[in-house]
Amino acid sequence: MILTVIFFFVPMVLSLVWSFTKYNGIAGPTWVGAANYTYLAQAPAFRNAVWNTVVFAAVTMVIGPALGLGAALLLNTGARAQGLFRSIFFLPVTLSLVVVGTMWKVLLAPNGLINQALAAVGINGPSWLEDPSTALLSVSFASIWAGFGFEAVIFLAALQNIPRELYEAAALDGAGRSETFRAVTLPALRPTLVFVYVVGIIGALQVYDQMFVMTRGGPLKSTTTIVYFLMDRFQRFDLGTASAAAYVLVVMLALLSAVQLRLSRRYV
Amino acid sequence: MKTAGTMMSLGLLGTALLLTGCGPAADAAGSSAAPSTDSAASGTVTVWDYYGQATPLKASIAEFSKAHPEITVDYQAFDYEALHSKFPVSVGSGQAPDLATVDMTWIPSFAANGLLGDLTEVSQGQLNGKPMADQYSAGANEAMQYDGKVVAALYDFDAYALFYRKDVLDQKGIPVPTTWDELVSATAKMAERPSPGAEPTKYGFAVQPDTFHYAQYLFQNAGSILDADLTKAAFNQPAGVEALDFMKSLVTSGGGTYWADPSTLTAAVKSEQIGMFVNGPYMMGVLKAAVPEQSGKWAVAPAPVGKQPGSYLGGTGLVIPTGAKNSAAAWELAQWLLRPDQMGYVFTEAGAAPATSAALELPVLSAPDPYFGGQAPFSIFKDAMATATHFPYVANWGDIDSAITDGVTSVLLDKESSQSALDTAAQASDAALGN
Repeated sequence: MILTVIFFFVPMVLSLVWSFTKYNGIAGPTWVGAANYTYLAQAPAFRNAVWNTVVFAAVTMVIGPALGLGAALLLNTGARAQGLFRSIFFLPVTLSLVVVGTMWKVLLAPNGLINQALAAVGINGPSWLEDPSTALLSVSFASIWAGFGFEAVIFLAALQNIPRELYEAAALDGAGRSETFRAVTLPALRPTLVFVYVVGIIGALQVYDQMFVMTRGGPLKSTTTIVYFLMDRFQRFDLGTASAAAYVLVVMLALLSAVQLRLSRRYV
Repeated sequence: MKTAGTMMSLGLLGTALLLTGCGPAADAAGSSAAPSTDSAASGTVTVWDYYGQATPLKASIAEFSKAHPEITVDYQAFDYEALHSKFPVSVGSGQAPDLATVDMTWIPSFAANGLLGDLTEVSQGQLNGKPMADQYSAGANEAMQYDGKVVAALYDFDAYALFYRKDVLDQKGIPVPTTWDELVSATAKMAERPSPGAEPTKYGFAVQPDTFHYAQYLFQNAGSILDADLTKAAFNQPAGVEALDFMKSLVTSGGGTYWADPSTLTAAVKSEQIGMFVNGPYMMGVLKAAVPEQSGKWAVAPAPVGKQPGSYLGGTGLVIPTGAKNSAAAWELAQWLLRPDQMGYVFTEAGAAPATSAALELPVLSAPDPYFGGQAPFSIFKDAMATATHFPYVANWGDIDSAITDGVTSVLLDKESSQSALDTAAQASDAALGN
């Protein structure tokens, strides 16, 4: 309990206090009231970071769980070598995000393997990570690749816990595959879906590593996310703004989690 | 102070917890005292070094330890980014090393925040028994000072020259470019494209959108980044706009290839996608290590000039942080590292350019280099250093650097005109300067 207070609550309170100060980490903090929050509300750079974070979360949380569920459904059909495929899907999850980011950075380089493969079939591939119109999506897809195996394993475990009797009853009622999925599988997966989305969205809103390794927040700040923004302010000795940005993120996460919990109570 | 430091450490830990639930403990506090000079030159010296595997420090420290058994050196290696993050936090919380290698572009923010001790206090203005100022070029002396204090001793320097595939230029009968116009023409002839107007796929010229490279053209066009009293952006004046237009023309009319990620440049050289680029002396070592199969094919020439020669001046500085516990022994080690005989390691181990005037005369630096076809390219960088200018030493340089890079990127990606992009960058820079 004492450790929790020292290493969790005290630091959180101090960070909250700093968010109302001008503080470089060296000289003592100076109270500036809500100036850091006002700055964040008006700064195009922070609005851009919020937008990029939301886009990243939307792309990864639409495609990632869908891929994970698809993979889990395939594995759950009793396909041969299910264990092997489960391991293959899960392997990227075990890799450090720095490793994943470095690997995809090499693959997506202007002269990387992906563009070489495209050139072999006559397509002039773009500079994936150097063009602001493709950089964020490229990082998002690398993140999906790294994460969907986790969702697949969670979904597979949930699928295997659905009682066989429900499927037998559906079959006796003459339900086809899509009806069975809608009437049996999906309702049984609701708690798992809620879990995957709660954990996934929180993780997506905190994205940093991939951006740091693959793009350094560029080009033209097209991959600067909230956490990247605040780390940048932190490294520039602007701890007041960095702390304020962290608390904006905390509020966003708290609101989203509250909505998700309310939805889960209603539908699960 | 200890209590305050502990509390501040916990506060930063809180920020980390808010984000990820775990992460590097970070803290900041500490005194603004200058390095102490009263301790004897003995005991342990903690050294933080960002050079990486090819560091010249290790070889030099091994010899130092034999010559100075009374001083124990605790050498700690960090990668570049880690040192940049860790240094201010550690110095601020009273956990400073005694000596560190830092990128000279970090000096403005580190010095402005009181992280760097005044070396004059520990050196009394002397380096290895001679006046320190006499042992560096005028530009280097200026780069080592912040607010009238000597805060770093330049260890290696960075100033730009032209790296080119000599075999390709010779084969195609293209003279080595010496002016901007010749650079456009030479790169256009050198680059090979799958079809007219397509991006060069072989022997392109890397056009890099960072401030280092933009400053090269800006300074060559008699422009400056800020005005004389460092209070307002000046890079959006005609000289800066022309410089950026020229960079753009390298892509549109020459054989330039937009190359934003410097970490992939070596791979592009290896695959021959890039056959010419502008960079500093450390690239000599990088090429030899990463592209040994192209030995004998490369050469170095002075960077083609606009109105005048010019380059950014950077490099690595040796600093004694504020609050260093053994600054006397740290300065003893720093002096050892800066001895001419020891500075040869900067070139032989790291492939970089030693910075003191005496080291610049080392025979090893003028020896013919087989990798560069028997050329001794070092003298070209030495000449570049003479006309190089360091970035402005203002506290929020990082914000200005970022604004310029975005402006240049925007133009090279055809999003904006040079004037418009630089005006936007100038606005951001002026805001960072407090205007």
